[in-house]
Amino acid sequence: MSEDRVDTQTVYVVDDDASVRDGLDSLLRSVGYRTACFASTRDFLAALPLSRPSCLVLDIRMPDANGLDFQDELVRQGLRVPIIFLSGHGDVPMSVRAMKAGASEFLLKPFREQDLLDAIRHALAADGARRIEDDVLASLRARYQTLTSREREVMALVVLGRLNKQIAGELGLSEITVKVHRGHAMRKMEADTAADLIRMAELLGLFRPIG
Amino acid sequence: MRAARPTFFRYLAEAPLLWCAIFVLACLIFIADTVTKREIAFAVLHVVVILMAVRTGRVGAILAVAVGCVALTVTSYALTPHGSQEAGLANAALSLLAIGASTWLAMRLERLQAASRRAQGELARMSRIVLMGELSASIAHEVSQPVTAIAAHGHAALRWLSASPPNEHEARQALRRIVGDAERAGEVVARVRRLVARAEPRHEPLDLSETVAEALALMRGELRRHDIALRTELADDLPAVSGDRVQLQQIVLNFVLNAADAMAETPADVRDLLVSTAANGASVTVSVRDTGSGVSAEAQSRLFEAFFSTKAHGMGMGLAISRSIVEAHGGQIYAAPNYPTGADFGFTLPAAAKPTPDPTDDDAHGGHDRQAPGTGQALQKAEAR
Repeated sequence: MSEDRVDTQTVYVVDDDASVRDGLDSLLRSVGYRTACFASTRDFLAALPLSRPSCLVLDIRMPDANGLDFQDELVRQGLRVPIIFLSGHGDVPMSVRAMKAGASEFLLKPFREQDLLDAIRHALAADGARRIEDDVLASLRARYQTLTSREREVMALVVLGRLNKQIAGELGLSEITVKVHRGHAMRKMEADTAADLIRMAELLGLFRPIG
Repeated sequence: MRAARPTFFRYLAEAPLLWCAIFVLACLIFIADTVTKREIAFAVLHVVVILMAVRTGRVGAILAVAVGCVALTVTSYALTPHGSQEAGLANAALSLLAIGASTWLAMRLERLQAASRRAQGELARMSRIVLMGELSASIAHEVSQPVTAIAAHGHAALRWLSASPPNEHEARQALRRIVGDAERAGEVVARVRRLVARAEPRHEPLDLSETVAEALALMRGELRRHDIALRTELADDLPAVSGDRVQLQQIVLNFVLNAADAMAETPADVRDLLVSTAANGASVTVSVRDTGSGVSAEAQSRLFEAFFSTKAHGMGMGLAISRSIVEAHGGQIYAAPNYPTGADFGFTLPAAAKPTPDPTDDDAHGGHDRQAPGTGQALQKAEAR
């Protein structure tokens, strides 16, 4: 992700140590990020939802909540924000658990500035890409919702590579009618070719294993 | 004994009441010895004066008092108008002999006590060093926090200055924070150094809340590492106690580490530690309460014994040394169950007579290496069991 776009992204910092929080805040602002700092995970939760690409820099040992438990909590709430853990203690089991649960990075205090900035850039890029994917998927789903059940049936068979004639046979329709439904489905899904439609079906998870 | 002269005045300042008593008693004996007949050997009572001088805890002071007593005895013999010359001479000689013998014994006793005090101080220091070892992760954390902040602010300041136009306001603010954080890191290092330094124990007026808070500042990382929630209730208007800051902090560190160990099996969300200070009447109490496994009835009676430990890796010295320190300060150490679970460890020290700082403060850096007389005995008690 290019540096000129950083100001549209927010880095959330949660650390109960005021000096560290201030330091991270100043550092990230000097790079150009928007920042929001919190002394506790509870304060952070009050600031939700996160509307723009963002990532969370979290001290793994917080007085009100263990950072790992908090990570689980966020996952349970369906909140997908990349987390960069900071730890004052080099404990390996914790870092393993954090990474397994999907942490974006695990840094030991005191860390190298470049490591943190790299981790943040990477996390924000991942979050941005994830958001674009989510947007694409959401609009696909919305479009798919507008299809009639007949159009969906036709589309399902088209993406399996059936010819119009075969579809007509399977559904007990005339070939003309299949062509009309197929045309409607392609238009509604905004697909130019059958290949586009197949890709969309894949994203929507329409392919069921064929028994 | 020319060198002893200036120190002698320091001794005077250390225990003015004791010296008054010594002086008055010596004068009374002198007067009684002078006005009565030579046959009555009142001067033998100077032995009592010398025994009192033992309480100063100074070999030099004992010697000075003995010289004084000898001088008074001789003078009194010369001044006494009545009685037989011969009997008087014999009595004076006997008195001088008694004074000499008791002085020798008193000096020997004092030397042994001093050695015992030194040994106790060394033991306490050794155990402090062991404590520091146990706290190393926590101390590293306390140093690494400000260092992390310093690095971040430093990089930020560089960026603020190389921006165009340079943002001097932000840069200056970052630099100011760097200074503050560096001082904070330095303070941690200084605290650790004070705890392990080979310093003679010194008694100075202390605010126990402040003393306790300073010790706790080194433990934050340790508590956090164990997911322990620390709550403090430190009274702000405590009467001063007279004591050795480092030794008293050592006790608190000990209690807190024990509490952390005791809570290892406690579910993380109920690991609570309450550290409080309170004044009750003429004494001040420090208490460390945990929600850990508590103390079994069987362990309760032996807790403060040396080499008694319920921990797998415990040496059993922590509480025994804590007890000898508290007793050397004229206080009491205790262990009680905490409600509803856990244990309450604490100690009570008598409030210092005068809350005003000691006027002999000039001498403080010269080394008040004198300790309350109970120290040696307390250690012996702890070892004897």
